Amino acid sequence: MRKTLIAVILTICTLVGANAQTRLVGRLVSVEQQAIEGATVTLVNQGVTTTTNEEGKFSLTYLEAIDEEVIVEAYGFMSDIILVQLIENQINDLGDVTLQTDLAAEMREEVVLNLSEMDLNDDEGKSQAMASASSASQDVFNATISYAWSNARYRGRGYEQIYEQNYIEGISFNSAERGQFNFSAMGGLNDATRYREVVEGMEASNFTFGSWGKSTNYLQSATNYAQGWKVGLAGTNRNYKGAARATYSSGLLENGWAFAAQLAWRYTPYIDVKGQIGEGISYSSVGYFFTAEKQWGKDKRLSLITFGAPTRRGQSSALTQETYDLTNQYNKTTWGHNNYNPYWGYQDGKVRNSRIVHTYDPTAIASFDWQIDEENFLKAGIGYHYSMYSNSALTFYNATDPRPDYYRNLPSFLWDGQIDKNGNFIDKTWNGSDWNGTALGNGSYIDNQYVGPSIDMSTYNTLVDLWTSRDDKATQIDWDALYAANTANNANNPEGSARYIVERRHNDIQEGMINLNYRNTSVDNLTITAGLEAKGSQGIHFKTVDDLLGGNQWIDVDPFAERDIKELATNIGLTQSDIANVKQNDLRNPNAAVTKNGRFGYDYRINMINTKIWAQNEWKWNAFDLYYGLQFTYSNIQRTTDMLNGRAWYLARLNPDYATYYLADNAAAVLAANGDYSTLPTRLAGYTHHFVDPAVKVGGTYKIDGRNQIKFNAMAETKAPLGRDAYISPRVHDRAVENIYRHDYAAYYAQQYGTSWLQEYFGASQKIAGGDLTYSFNYPIIRGRVTAFYTRFWNGTELNGYYDDEARTFVNQSLTGINRRHCGIEAAAAVKLGMYFTLTGVVSVGDYRYTSNALAITSAENGMALADESDRAADDLNQGPIFELRDSVLIKGLRVATGPQVNASLKLSFFHPKMWFADITVNYFDWSYLDYAPARRMQGLFTGVRADGSHVNGSYIDPEINAIAKDEAGNAMYDKYGVPVLNYPYSLHSMQESLVDGNVLNRFLVDVSVGKLIYLKNRQSISINLTVNNLLNNTHFKTGGYQQARLPRQTKQGMTNGKIVSVISPNAWKFPSKYYYAWGTNFYLNIQYKF
Amino acid sequence: MKTMKFIIHNSKFIIATAIVALCAACTPNAPTKLYISETEAETLIKEGKCLTIEQFKDTFMTKEGNYCMPELYRERSKAGDDYLFTIDTIPVSDTPIYIRGRVTTDDYAGNFYKTLCIQQMVNGKQQAIRLSVDAGSIGGLYQLGQEILIRVDGLAIGRYANQPQLCLPSYNNNIYANKAEQKVGWAAGRIPFAIFKARTQCIGTPDQSKLYYDTLQITDYNHITDLVEAREWDAKLVCIENVHFTGQYDNNGTPTNCTTGDPETDGNANVFAPTTENMNYPQSRVIMDAQDNWTLVSTSEYAKYAHFYLPANNYWGNVVGILGFYYDNGLNYNRYPPEASDWSISIRSVDDLRLYDGEEHWLYDENGNYKPGYEYSKN
Repeated sequence: MRKTLIAVILTICTLVGANAQTRLVGRLVSVEQQAIEGATVTLVNQGVTTTTNEEGKFSLTYLEAIDEEVIVEAYGFMSDIILVQLIENQINDLGDVTLQTDLAAEMREEVVLNLSEMDLNDDEGKSQAMASASSASQDVFNATISYAWSNARYRGRGYEQIYEQNYIEGISFNSAERGQFNFSAMGGLNDATRYREVVEGMEASNFTFGSWGKSTNYLQSATNYAQGWKVGLAGTNRNYKGAARATYSSGLLENGWAFAAQLAWRYTPYIDVKGQIGEGISYSSVGYFFTAEKQWGKDKRLSLITFGAPTRRGQSSALTQETYDLTNQYNKTTWGHNNYNPYWGYQDGKVRNSRIVHTYDPTAIASFDWQIDEENFLKAGIGYHYSMYSNSALTFYNATDPRPDYYRNLPSFLWDGQIDKNGNFIDKTWNGSDWNGTALGNGSYIDNQYVGPSIDMSTYNTLVDLWTSRDDKATQIDWDALYAANTANNANNPEGSARYIVERRHNDIQEGMINLNYRNTSVDNLTITAGLEAKGSQGIHFKTVDDLLGGNQWIDVDPFAERDIKELATNIGLTQSDIANVKQNDLRNPNAAVTKNGRFGYDYRINMINTKIWAQNEWKWNAFDLYYGLQFTYSNIQRTTDMLNGRAWYLARLNPDYATYYLADNAAAVLAANGDYSTLPTRLAGYTHHFVDPAVKVGGTYKIDGRNQIKFNAMAETKAPLGRDAYISPRVHDRAVENIYRHDYAAYYAQQYGTSWLQEYFGASQKIAGGDLTYSFNYPIIRGRVTAFYTRFWNGTELNGYYDDEARTFVNQSLTGINRRHCGIEAAAAVKLGMYFTLTGVVSVGDYRYTSNALAITSAENGMALADESDRAADDLNQGPIFELRDSVLIKGLRVATGPQVNASLKLSFFHPKMWFADITVNYFDWSYLDYAPARRMQGLFTGVRADGSHVNGSYIDPEINAIAKDEAGNAMYDKYGVPVLNYPYSLHSMQESLVDGNVLNRFLVDVSVGKLIYLKNRQSISINLTVNNLLNNTHFKTGGYQQARLPRQTKQGMTNGKIVSVISPNAWKFPSKYYYAWGTNFYLNIQYKF
Repeated sequence: MKTMKFIIHNSKFIIATAIVALCAACTPNAPTKLYISETEAETLIKEGKCLTIEQFKDTFMTKEGNYCMPELYRERSKAGDDYLFTIDTIPVSDTPIYIRGRVTTDDYAGNFYKTLCIQQMVNGKQQAIRLSVDAGSIGGLYQLGQEILIRVDGLAIGRYANQPQLCLPSYNNNIYANKAEQKVGWAAGRIPFAIFKARTQCIGTPDQSKLYYDTLQITDYNHITDLVEAREWDAKLVCIENVHFTGQYDNNGTPTNCTTGDPETDGNANVFAPTTENMNYPQSRVIMDAQDNWTLVSTSEYAKYAHFYLPANNYWGNVVGILGFYYDNGLNYNRYPPEASDWSISIRSVDDLRLYDGEEHWLYDENGNYKPGYEYSKN
C-alpha cells in the first residue's frame, strides 16, 4: 500500500457523453509507461469496483456525481489513492495513473517461490508442508501473510495446495495426477510470474470457477513487460547462494508484435561446511522464458509463450530430535543449528549428495484474446508441458543399510530393550539380586552404572562422540565404502547384482490443455462468464539406474519378495518355480541385468482426462453484488504398465475371482500364458474409471456504505480422487482403492449393501461444502477486514506406505472416508502512523481437525498375507489367510497438519517518497501439529480387534504391557472421542505431537527488510533490497515433519496356541517423529538495474 | 551519496553475515582416532604389529571373563568348571592393538547373521575367530575372501555359548525369549556397526583363492571337549571329507530319521532347516562318514535354502563350512556322548556341498529342486 495519500484535484477533460451518464475512466501504467492489467479500481464512497483490461484501462459508469476516493491496487505495485470530484453526466477521465513498483513485494515473492520450489515433489516419506507460494492481492491480510507466514509453512485456512488453482493465460496448470502446481517449472523466472490475477477462494472470477484456496492466473503476454532491459544479481545463504537474471522486452512494435524474454541462473556449489545452512547441498538452475505477442488492432491478440528451468538440486532430510541434538553439538555458532544433512558424504574427498532432484518442465502456450465487441470477449488457449521430475536415492541389495541416520546406527538404538513398561531405564540388577553395581570381577565395570544403554558405557560414549564430532564415516554416507563393496562384489560375483547403486525415481507427467473462456456484458449490471477446460495427462513413473557405483550391473528383483519367498509359498499351492516368479519385477524380462540408465523396478503410467465446463453470473448493483456459478467436471483415470509384475501375477493367481483387480483386462491371458507372454501387448492397460463431479457456488456483497462492506461466499462440490491416490499399490498392480470399484459398480453395491446408487456413485469422490463471511472497512487512516470461515470435507482419500513391524514387510495403506472441518477467523488492519509509517496487524485463528474416523485397507507390497486364517472373525465366511486388512483409523479430533493454526503478525513499515522502504515484522505461531501416522491410530491396536473383526497380534490391551489407563474402579478410561487412554510411555506411540516449543518466546520469528529504489536519467533505475529472516535466530522453531509409521514391537520366542505373538514395545524412542526446523538467520540481497 | 552510504553499510552487513556463515564450522572435540587408511594398515602388517588371532585369544581370554562375576552373565553360563558365557574387555591402549584376517563367511544365503568369521594363516596353520557385529547383511561390506584389519583395544573378547568372538559387553533384556530367566543379563554382544566400521579397514579386494580349508575327518575334532582346545578349532573354515547326508536329524544326541512332513509345520522334515516354531535356533542334520562317525550340518531356518530337501544318502563327498562348537546348555549339564559331539558345520550356501553318486553331482536349481545330470563345475 502506498504510504502517501495523493490528493489530486483533477483537471477534468470533459467529454459530454452521448447518453449523459456520469462515468470515470482512466488507464493505469507503470513507471515505464507499461499498461497494468488486472488492477482493481475502487470508488470508496459508492462501493463500486472494476478491473483494468489488457490495455490497463478501466471504465465505471452510472456513478453518482460526488467527491470520491479512488483506490487503485495492482499486484506488484504500490497502491494509490486518488481524490476526485466527479462531474455529473460527463466522462471524468483520470488519464494515465502511474503506479510505483512495490519493490518489497517483488523481493518477497522471490523468497516465497524459492521456498515452494524446495518443498515440491520431495517424495521421500513426507515432504515439508508446502509454503503458500505467490502472494495474493492487495487485501491487507493476504498481502501480509503470504510472505510473513511462509517460513512457518502457513497454509491459508489449512487447505492443502490441491485446493488452490494456478493458471497461465487462462490455462489450468494444476497437475491432474498430483493436483498441484509445479512452481519449479518457472524456477528463478521472476518475470514469468510477475503479473497475475488473483482470486481469493470461492469469489467470482473471470478466468476460473474457483476453488477453496486462492486461484492465480499468471499473465505472460509480452506487452505486460516494460520496454527495455533489466538485469539483476542476488545473493543469499539459503539453498542457492547466487542468482543472476536478465530480462529484455521490446515493447509493442509498429508491426503489432511484442517480445519479451528472461534468462535466469541460480547456483551454489556443494556446501562443504558442516552445520551451515544447506550443508551437502548443491544447486544449479538455468531458466528461460520467452513470450511473443501479436496484436491485430485493439481487439485481437495472440500470445506465444515458452519457458523452462532445468534444475538440479540436492536435498536434505527430516530428522529425529536425537539426531539434531547430537549434531548440534558440533557447531555451536549462531548459524550452526539444525542443519545436519545425512544425505551427503565424501567421495574421494569431495562432497556428494545421494538425493539429487532433476526437474525440467518445458512448456509451450498459445493464447488468443478476442474482444468480439464491447459486450463479448473470448479467450482461447492451448498448452502443453512435459514435466520431468526425478529424484535419486541409494538402494542396496544384500548389504548393510548405507544411511548414516538409520535408526540402528544411532545411540538411542542401544536403549532398545532397556526401557521398562513405565518408560524408565531398567535396573540391570541380575535376576533381582541385590547387586549394587559396584565394580566387580577385576573392576572393569563402569562405576555404579547399572541403568542405561545395553552396551558398556565407554562404547556408548564412543558412539556418541562419533556423532557429536560429525565423524565423516559415521554421520555421512561413506561413498568410498560403497564403491569398495561393489568392487569386491565384482571380484567375487561378476555377474551378480551390485550391492549398492544410486537409483533415480522418475515421476514425469505430460499434459496437453485447451481452454475457452467467454465473457458477456450485454445485460446491464450482469457479467456472464463461462469456461471450458480440457486436459489430457499422463503420469509416467519408472526407475532407472543413475550410478552403478562401480558395480557391473543391477539384477532387477524385489528383495522383500525374495526374503519372504517361503512364506509366500505356503499361502497358495504354487510350485517352487512359480514362487520364483514372485520376486520378479517384470516377468517378461526376469532377472534383468540393468546397467546405467536402464529401467527397472516399475514402469507404469497413469492416464487421465479432466474436463470442466462452468458458468458464472455476476450481478452488480449500487448496494448489493451477487454472483452464482455452476460447474461440471468429467474425469477418468487409467493405469497402464510396461512391466508384468510378479506380485501382481501372484495375487491374481491367489485370488482368481479378482484376478482382473490386479492384472485388469490382461488377467486371463497372463494366467493362461504359463510363461509365454509373447502375445501380450507391450503396454498392459488397466481399467478406466470414470467420474462426474458437480460444483455450485454463490456469493454476494452488501455495501453498507462506501467504506464498509459485508461479503459472503458459499460453495459445494464433489471432487474425484487424484491419480496419485487412486491405486493401492500402483508400482505393483492395477488394484484401485475400494471406493472406486463401488463407484464403478454403484448399482451392484447399492443392492449389495442396501445403500443408494448416489451414495455409492459419489462414494469415490471427496465432498466439500463451506463458506465465509467478511466484514471489511476502508478509511483513510485504517483499513482491514474480519472474516469467519467454515468448511467441511467428507470422504477424503490418502495413500501411505511404510514398513510394518508386525507383518515385518513393507505395506501399502489406503485411507478413505477422511472427514474434516476447517473453521476459523481471519482479521487484519493497517493503520497509518503519520507520513512515513504504517502499522499492520494480522491474525488468523483456525481450528482444522478431523471429524470422524477413517477406513484403512492395508496390504503388503510383496503380496504376503498380513494375518492368519485363525485371526479371522468368528463370523467371517471367508477362509484362508488375510491379505487385505480393514480397520478403522481413530483420527476423530486430531488436528490437520497443514501448518500453524494460530498465526499473528505485527508489522511496522516505513516508506519515504524518495523511495526508501523498510519494515520489521514480528510473527507469532501456535497450534501447529505434526502429521499423524495412521498405522499408529488403528482401532485394532486399541481394542485388539480390527473393524473387519479380525484379531490383532499384539495390541495395547495385551495384559502384559499395562498400556490401557484405568480409573480407580479398574475401568478403562476413554478420551472424549472414545479412544482408550494409554499409560506412559505407550501414550507417546499414538499421540499427536505439537510442533510448537514449550517456551512461548520460541514461537516468534522476526523478519526485517530494507530497500531503496534510485531513479536515474532516461527512465533507468537501480533497486537494492535486503531481507533478513529469523533475525533473532530462533533455533527452536519446527516447521513440520511426520510421525514414523513403524510401531516398535517385540516378538515372543516360540509359539502360543500355534501363533507367533507380538508385543508392543514400551520403547517409544525407537522410531520417534522426524522434524524440519526453520532455518536460522538467513538473508536475501537483490540488486537490479533497469535500462 | 546517501544511496552509496546505504549500499556500503549494507554490504558490510552482508559480507559479515557471509563470513560468519562460512566460518560456522568449529573444531569438534574429536574422539580418539580409530580409522586408519589402507596404506597404514598394510604398513602395520608388514611391520608385524598385529597380534595373531591365537595370540589375541591367549592374551585376553580368561576362563571366567573380567567384565563382571560370571554369575552375573547368566544362570546357565557354567557347565561344570567351564564358563560358556564370558566377557573379557580389552582396555583402550596407547599403542593400538590390531588383528587381521580374511573373511571366510558369506551371509547372502542367510545361514550367517550379523557374524563374520576371519581366518589367518600362521606358519601354515589356520587360526580363526568370529566377529559379532550388529549389522544385517554385513557380508555386503566385508565379503568372502576380503582381508581386513581390526583395531581391538576398546572392544572385548568373549564366549557366547562357548564360541569365542570379538564382541562387546551387552545387556540382553529379551524378556520374551524362551527361558528368559536364564538369558537376561550381560553377555558377549554385538559390536555396533558404526563402531566396528570405524575400527576396521579392508585391505585390497577379496581373493577367495587365498582362503585355506582345513581338510578334516570327523574324528579329527568331534572328540574335543576341552574348551581351551576347542577355541582353537571354532570358526575355522574346514572341508569334511567323504561324508554323506543320512536324512537324519539330531535327536538329543541320537540320529533319528527325518520325516516327509511339511517343513512349515514339521520341525523334523527332510530339509535343512524346517520350522522351529519361532524358537529361532539352528536346525541340525546328520552327515556321516564311512565308519559311521557323524557330525552335524547346522542351518538357520532363515537361510534361503532352509527348505531345500536334503541330498540323497547315496551321494558322497565333501562338505565345506565353518566349524563350530555351540554349547549353551550349561544349566542342564548333559553333554552329548563323545560319539555324538557338540560340533557342527555351518555351510555358507548349498554350493558348499560337493556330493557325488558315482555318476552325477548333487546340485540344486535356484528353486531348491534337485538338478540332475549336471557336472559339478565349481572348485
